[in-house]
Amino acid sequence: MWTRLRHFGRAVMHRQTVTREVDVEVRFHIEMETEKYIREGMLPDAARERASRIFGPMDKHRADIRDAHGITWADDFWQDIKYGARTLVKHKGYAVLAVLTLGLGIGANTAIFSVINGVLLKPLPYDHADRLVLVRQSAPLSGQATVGVAIAEYFDYRAQAEVFDGLVEYHQMNFDLINRGEPDRVNTGVVSANFFDLLGIRPLIGRSFVASDDQHGSEPVLLLSHTYWRTKFGGDPNIVGQVFEMNDRPHRVIGVLPNVPHYPQENDVYMPVLSCPFRAAAERTIPQNRRAFAALSVFGRLKPGVTSEGAASAVATINQRFTADHAGVYRIATSGFQATTIDVQQALTAGARDLLLILLGITGLVLLIACANVANLTLARMLGRDRELAVRAAIGAGRARLVRQLLTESALLSLAGGAVGLVFAVATVGMLITFVGRFTQRTGEVSIDLPVLAFTLGVSLFTGILFGILPALGTRVDLVLALKQGSNQAGAGSTRRRVQGALIVAQVAVSVVLLVGAGLLVTSFYRLQRAETGYRADGVLSAQIYGNFSRYGNVSALRRLYFPILERLEGQPGVISAAITNAVPLAGSAPGTTRFDIEGRVTDDPDRRPAADVRVASPKYFDTIGIPVAGGRVFSDLDSEETQPVVVINRSMARYWDGSDPVGSKISLDRGQRWLTVVGIVGDVRQFGLAQETVAQIYLPLAQSPTNIAGQVLVRTYGPPEGFAQLLRDTVHAVDPNQPVEAVQTMADLRAEALAAPRLTATLLAVFAGLALLVTLAGIGGVIATSVTQRTREFGLRMALGASRSTVMGMVLAQGLTLVAIGLAVGIAGAVAGGRVLSAYLYQTAPADPLVIAAVVAAFLLSATIACLGPARRATTVDPLVALRAD
Amino acid sequence: MSTTHAKPLDLLQGTLDLLILKTLALGPLHGWGISQRIQQMSASVLRVNQGSLYPALHRLEAAGWIDAEWGSTEANRQAKFYTLTRSGQKRLRAETDEWERMTVAVTRVLQTQS
Repeated sequence: MWTRLRHFGRAVMHRQTVTREVDVEVRFHIEMETEKYIREGMLPDAARERASRIFGPMDKHRADIRDAHGITWADDFWQDIKYGARTLVKHKGYAVLAVLTLGLGIGANTAIFSVINGVLLKPLPYDHADRLVLVRQSAPLSGQATVGVAIAEYFDYRAQAEVFDGLVEYHQMNFDLINRGEPDRVNTGVVSANFFDLLGIRPLIGRSFVASDDQHGSEPVLLLSHTYWRTKFGGDPNIVGQVFEMNDRPHRVIGVLPNVPHYPQENDVYMPVLSCPFRAAAERTIPQNRRAFAALSVFGRLKPGVTSEGAASAVATINQRFTADHAGVYRIATSGFQATTIDVQQALTAGARDLLLILLGITGLVLLIACANVANLTLARMLGRDRELAVRAAIGAGRARLVRQLLTESALLSLAGGAVGLVFAVATVGMLITFVGRFTQRTGEVSIDLPVLAFTLGVSLFTGILFGILPALGTRVDLVLALKQGSNQAGAGSTRRRVQGALIVAQVAVSVVLLVGAGLLVTSFYRLQRAETGYRADGVLSAQIYGNFSRYGNVSALRRLYFPILERLEGQPGVISAAITNAVPLAGSAPGTTRFDIEGRVTDDPDRRPAADVRVASPKYFDTIGIPVAGGRVFSDLDSEETQPVVVINRSMARYWDGSDPVGSKISLDRGQRWLTVVGIVGDVRQFGLAQETVAQIYLPLAQSPTNIAGQVLVRTYGPPEGFAQLLRDTVHAVDPNQPVEAVQTMADLRAEALAAPRLTATLLAVFAGLALLVTLAGIGGVIATSVTQRTREFGLRMALGASRSTVMGMVLAQGLTLVAIGLAVGIAGAVAGGRVLSAYLYQTAPADPLVIAAVVAAFLLSATIACLGPARRATTVDPLVALRAD
Repeated sequence: MSTTHAKPLDLLQGTLDLLILKTLALGPLHGWGISQRIQQMSASVLRVNQGSLYPALHRLEAAGWIDAEWGSTEANRQAKFYTLTRSGQKRLRAETDEWERMTVAVTRVLQTQS
């Protein structure tokens, strides 16, 4: 086989050389033959003439020799392409329809694949990225999927794990960077000195962190991100050496990072761990508090040859060792505290993987439908081509040659479709990136690059063969029949009709699966949109004011910032009320689990205490955000540090009182050191996501909050809240001109943001399902129309014999709807079986929701009937006489 | 021309390949040489149709049973020399066996008394 291939390749590539060699060889032969005759006594001229005559006509031999090499095959190939292109140009309507259908299918697949390639397949852009793993701690028994790594734990892993080339820590802080007097809130990555070395990132200018930056007493230093350097400093090359104030200390810029994606998060600046005042302070408290500052991400690079299993078990062993040594801290029996490792790449993309694979599956199905449709179009066109193919067969084209001709045409179509699809993909991939960006940070690396182009080419050729092979199989034309009779009755008509029917059934089935999926997501989205959130989002503006610890280092200092802001805001025209809390609903945080005791019902085992999410709220909070009061009272200005400590609880929390009124009873968050009186009950609020069930919540008054909180300002206004953004900023600056005001947005926007991902998922699937439906309906209409044309004579005859128009129409509709009904049955079975993959994306909607399925069936039957009506009506307009005379 | 022999026979369909392989089993040879050698060995009974010789040679080469290489003749002329490959030898043995079975069978049929 290989030898043959090599010869064929050589013959095609060097056809000139081969032809020349053949000529030389033949000339040598004729000369030898001539000399033989001369030796036998003939005259030279006569000898040459005889030698040539015996050898025979040169051209024919040359062709035979070329055949022996298989070059004819390549010649035919070009001929096929030229012929195919000419045929397609002649049948523009068919070609354009096919190319557009395929273009949509291929384009959708290309767009999704480019995202999958960028997010799931491409290695991270770091040195030895395949060996980067994250240390993941969890406490499954107390319901915590991830538990941050504490400083002491990190030190244990770093000292004891021998499987790593290097192990680094990371956490993110927000600090004010004072840039020439202007405060600028910057996202700050706090990292080990060897963090960038481990990732293989070398600074663009200046130097990276070194071990001496990471020692007590060393000067605080900063690395700037490329983006921050460009936007805030205009790419100033003299930035290195400049000093900025952060946290009341001078920080020297030592370098600028290159323009690379940041992991695990985007940051404006980076500092070594001991430059972070919190991290440095926490390190000093390790002897008393092993779990100090349990907020680190820890990841490392495996030594070459270490497997992920090896790394996971090494980390687990170290974890078991330190949890055993400090059993009182970790309470393994109730927490199940443990550790393992996972691939960094997997950790970064886990949120998007399932969704992307579902999308790829869906676009794959759309492409299959497109293929089936083009196959049907091609089959329909074949009716008119039987004669042409028969003629070609009659003048000597073999069956293989005819099949090849048809395949060449479909390949041309699908490649054109691929080109259209590529344009389509380039145009839509931006939208898709924004969408997927909600689930992973890796979308920055998505691009239409070489692997994507290869994918498109592969898919195009594959679809070309797929939809080309079916019609080609139907080319077993009966020569005599085809030539003798008109094209209408020719050849393998009934086989072809069966294939067409099967294709329609398949298309309907796949479309039904997609429609049911889309129907489920749309229903779920509709219900989610209407979900009772427990508060009124409209008319409220929110903003973040994080009092930097250096100026507002304790809770009373913070109150001196927050209360004057509220006072001033409430005096402004147009402001109904203003409030401060620590986190607004739907802002993306996870519920806290603070354990509490109810007075008179204290449990012995502290780990068996009930848990609740604790919030801080200023007096007008419940009014401002519209949370209804269900009993008792909410906070007032009279609640202060000097008065009785009070809390307000929500309805979910009230269930712990088993029906008796909680108001007036007391709870404690610190094992009975301080008792807080429950003064009121408020409604439940969906704090953590529209689809998340509410949890028990405790509200503490801002005036009595024992700890620092980040301030979320809320303002309820007359009229559109957007117009109050500047007023809000000015008011804050009137209290403290250096206080940054961030994330100014309306609560309605926040709510819309929470709905954006499910809305887009539903929209995308609905668009794909709609496409599938359209393509399928076009297919049904087309097939029925062809069949009506074929049965013209039959209908004419029936009508001549007295069949009414409605009978004929009924026959045509029955033909179409029978196919649809079979497809519906198959499709619904498939949808019910496959619906489970969507269950994670559904809100209060069962994967086999009968209402959705019924709606899809009704919609499909209705639209299919409409698609068949046109051809059916045409069947009734057949003039019996014309039909009988025809052909 | 010889008077002792009848008119030379054209080759039976399919036997040309076998004869080429057999000829080359005796040593490398160019196209013209092969045609002469077949004629000699068959004592001028068989005549190679020269037009079908070269397509056959190229076909056998493409199949990997023979190899071709440019070289010089004794008269120092450029010619394409063909040699039998290892798989060509195998093929020759197989085709020879088949030919013998065929001739035995045909002869047996012809010798059957009517």
